[in-house]
Amino acid sequence: MNYIPTIGLEVHAELSTKTKIYCGCENKFGAEVNTKVCPVCSGMPGTLPVLNRKVVEYCCKMGLAIGARINQLSKQDRKNYYYPDLPKAYQISQFDIPLCEGGSVPILVNGEEKRIGVTRIHIEEDAGKLLHDDKFSGSLVDYNRCGVPLIEIVSEPDMHSSEEAKEYLEAIKRLLQYLDISDCRMQEGSIRCDVNVSLAPEGSDALGTRAEMKNVNSFSGAVRAIEYEIRRQTELLERGETVVQETRRWDDMAGQSFSMRSKEDAQDYRYFPEPDLAVIEVSDEEIARIRGALPELPHDRFMRYRALGELTDYECGMLVGNLAMAEFFDRCTALERVKPKAVCNWLLGDISRILNERGSELSDAALTPENLCAMIALIEKGTISNTAAKTVLEVIFDEDRAPEAVVEEKGLAQNNDEGAMRTLVCEILDANEKSVSDYKGGKTNALGFLVGQCMRASKGKGNPQIISKLLTEELSKR
Amino acid sequence: MELYRMTAEELSALLEKKELSAAELTKAQFERIHAVEPDVQSYITLTEEEALRRAAEIDRRRSEGEQLSKLAGIPIGIKDNLCTKGVRTTCASKMLGNFEPVYSATAVEKLEDAGLVMTGKLNMDEFAMGSSTENSAFQKTKNPRDLTRVPGGSSGGSAAAVAAGECTFALGSDTGGSIRQPAGFCGVVGFKPTYGTVSRYGLVAFASSLDQIGPLARSVKDAALLCDLITGRDPRDTTSVPGDGSNYYGSLNPEMKGKVLGLPKEFFGEGISDEVKSAVLAAAKVYEGLGATVKEVSVPLIDYSLPTYYILSSAEASSNLARYDGVKYGFRAAEFDGLVDMYNRTRSEGFGSEVKRRIMLGTYVLSSGYYDAYYKRAQKVQRLLRQSFDEVFAGCDALITPTSPTTAFKLGEKLSDSMQMYLTDICTVSINIAGLPAMSLPCGRDKEGLPIGLQLIGNRFCDQTIFDVGAAFEAEFGRLDVAL
Amino acid sequence: MITKSEIEHLAKLSRLYLTDAERETLAKEMDGIVDMAAQLQQLDLDSVELTLDGRRNVLREDEIIPSYSRDEILKNAPVREAGCFSVPKTVE
Ligand SMILES: [Mg+2]
Ligand SMILES: [Zn+2]
Repeated sequence: MNYIPTIGLEVHAELSTKTKIYCGCENKFGAEVNTKVCPVCSGMPGTLPVLNRKVVEYCCKMGLAIGARINQLSKQDRKNYYYPDLPKAYQISQFDIPLCEGGSVPILVNGEEKRIGVTRIHIEEDAGKLLHDDKFSGSLVDYNRCGVPLIEIVSEPDMHSSEEAKEYLEAIKRLLQYLDISDCRMQEGSIRCDVNVSLAPEGSDALGTRAEMKNVNSFSGAVRAIEYEIRRQTELLERGETVVQETRRWDDMAGQSFSMRSKEDAQDYRYFPEPDLAVIEVSDEEIARIRGALPELPHDRFMRYRALGELTDYECGMLVGNLAMAEFFDRCTALERVKPKAVCNWLLGDISRILNERGSELSDAALTPENLCAMIALIEKGTISNTAAKTVLEVIFDEDRAPEAVVEEKGLAQNNDEGAMRTLVCEILDANEKSVSDYKGGKTNALGFLVGQCMRASKGKGNPQIISKLLTEELSKR
Repeated sequence: MELYRMTAEELSALLEKKELSAAELTKAQFERIHAVEPDVQSYITLTEEEALRRAAEIDRRRSEGEQLSKLAGIPIGIKDNLCTKGVRTTCASKMLGNFEPVYSATAVEKLEDAGLVMTGKLNMDEFAMGSSTENSAFQKTKNPRDLTRVPGGSSGGSAAAVAAGECTFALGSDTGGSIRQPAGFCGVVGFKPTYGTVSRYGLVAFASSLDQIGPLARSVKDAALLCDLITGRDPRDTTSVPGDGSNYYGSLNPEMKGKVLGLPKEFFGEGISDEVKSAVLAAAKVYEGLGATVKEVSVPLIDYSLPTYYILSSAEASSNLARYDGVKYGFRAAEFDGLVDMYNRTRSEGFGSEVKRRIMLGTYVLSSGYYDAYYKRAQKVQRLLRQSFDEVFAGCDALITPTSPTTAFKLGEKLSDSMQMYLTDICTVSINIAGLPAMSLPCGRDKEGLPIGLQLIGNRFCDQTIFDVGAAFEAEFGRLDVAL
Repeated sequence: MITKSEIEHLAKLSRLYLTDAERETLAKEMDGIVDMAAQLQQLDLDSVELTLDGRRNVLREDEIIPSYSRDEILKNAPVREAGCFSVPKTVE
């Protein structure tokens, strides 16, 4: 039988506020253990939380970006459980009245837009970190991360494949980046998720029993966890067994999930309203202000790029996925000097390559949209070859100089003189009799080799179009 | 007169006129403590050295002509659930037996800023859970009026110390009557301010939505002076209300003409001893004599306040006390096998039986399947109770009731019957549920000579009215002298 | 009536071990308290709405306040190791 998976995701994203959610400790990753801690975030007796205004604002930003309804009055609740990384033995979260409800996130599935529903977005505090190492006598607890603000984005069970889940996660990440509310440092765990998977026989309306996987710390891990879970449940069902509703722990190293049965029977979080905190109120004015300040959202930008009619969906996605690059692209196209496609090619091609090699950001480079477009214009005019342009790019990447000047200085201008070229072409043909006879014998790809030889002989300055034309002419004479 | 019999108001005058130095006063205070402490046992920790150092500093500053606060140099005792930086803060629990806070409660900071001299940390029921101070893990405080009796609780150490002259006044905390009931039992003045007027930052939480810090003193004026010091908005406590603070002392107006005082009939029913009843009714007559109108009123739902209180307070307590797990501070069991065993042993060995009982009850009322039946219903009753107090206060300035159904009972008398113990709070818990201000002050003695407490209840944020009404009665009835 | 197994479940949730004697007395005492609490069932509370009341929007600006030193944070730790609180090894 064929089974259709249904997937829901709970994404926890750390917010990039300056301070923690309930105290003034710096919200900073990578500090020395237990140095970004105070009596409040380490849960010392007698301490009280005070909510950070920015956390409310950031959560509302995300909510408004996905068309959620903002609960103008919401409250915070305590979720009670024991674990050494949770110093108060309760997490302050939101239970029955979250800040945001509803909304949806658009994704593309085979080029078609699909909207993944969002149930709710709420604010809560992160827990600390347990460090395990054989050289220590115990497990060590570092509270630096305790109280780092999180938003939890709970999706509807609207996804039916690991690809859709991946698209959704990427879309969430792009939104967080565009809204500038999270650093999205995946390797540092600033976005984590819990994954719910159930299977139902194809054609059936009923949902199957779901299993929840916790501790998924990367998008690729989420994809692997989902695929593993689909396989596991399929095998169970095919053997005639049933899926148990349970929480499982995803072990990314092992590529497996494990049942957490031991903890299960005691799992009763005893939520109740947090008596130490006031009601959160978001006014109409505040909502209007936040909504008014929203940037163009990634999906809208994607659609705008697609409408240019020149770029593939893949290219649109690559640009949209890198905010700095997308903004650079927009500044280039606004100059209306060159074709967007050419700009895109350079951005996704050589410019990305250089950035990758250096491990740097586009914003660190001296490259300006004006210089890039001027360079592309020189190619389009035939002043320089693509090969020469690469040399120009190396210069204007780090120095704000006019490409024309660079071409001049380095003598990179293309040779468009047909007479001189013809002499060069004849010399090459004389020196490569084997290729000439190959060509004559029907091996047309020998032409490419000959063009290459001519380009090399011209030190890259020959115009490849002219050389091709002359080669064809001269070959036909032989 | 011996210094330990004097009020803060009287001592302040002597200090200001330089007829007395803070060092002399502190020395005399500790002499008194050493004399009676073996009998009373109200202190868990004494801070004599630091107190003498502080007193000397106050004297130096005064001699240099610095303008000091009115209460600079006055000895004060602090309940041991208020965090004091560098001074052990135990909550009378084995769990925090060795806990030394790295910060001070806001209220404590304010006292320090005003130059008061802390004498030490006062005994209490463990984590403020109890009505007799017998639930302390360390010692049993005796009622100085009769050493065979309890001082009340949970601020029993604070009340006993004030009554025995072991400090001029003290800070306590009141979650369901924990300032007023011991004040009543020991014959001193105890005041629970309107919820939110005094910052709870640094008060080790029992039930966050009910806890409130307040003064215990030998006079209404002293209580007002102390309350003025600690009142005011604190940015570290979200539940503290806006405002710069209070001037209860400076604004005292004991004029009773035109005041309407209510006698809520629910507070005079079954279980209230006849002697208590008649002393409180006699107090009502005193008010009439002063020109006030006294009328009978009714606060429906009072009968439901005790269950409501135990549900709400235990629920919050079960969560507030979950952090004592042997990881960050305090006690950790010596032997265990793995994390969960460490938690369980630490908590089983570190908490006393009353604390365990409340944790279990709180866990029960919050657990899945019971939340709606207990916690949610209690929240609804809380709402109704607030409304019915609102209605009563539409026609009254203050209410007059007993502080507790009886005078101080014998040590051990109710220890084995938790329900009997809980019933001693029947007159006080509703005030915390409604967040109101209330005071207990002496209004007589029973035939065994034990003090009887008069409770005055005000409308939210009408704390001044309660000080006014209290001062008017005290001016007529007088104060009880220091015991022993 | 609170059953023995309920008491055991609550103890587990509360991270408490109970001796047989404690279990016995607690069951009895909790029964008493729960009976008292059950008085609230007599009231008709269906029409009472629990709206969000109390203080609103008491918020803090997003400004850094220096943290405490690690020594202060760990001062009361029963066991500390390598700048951290140390707990019995947990299997992760
Ligand atoms: Mg969560
Ligand atoms: Zn902190």
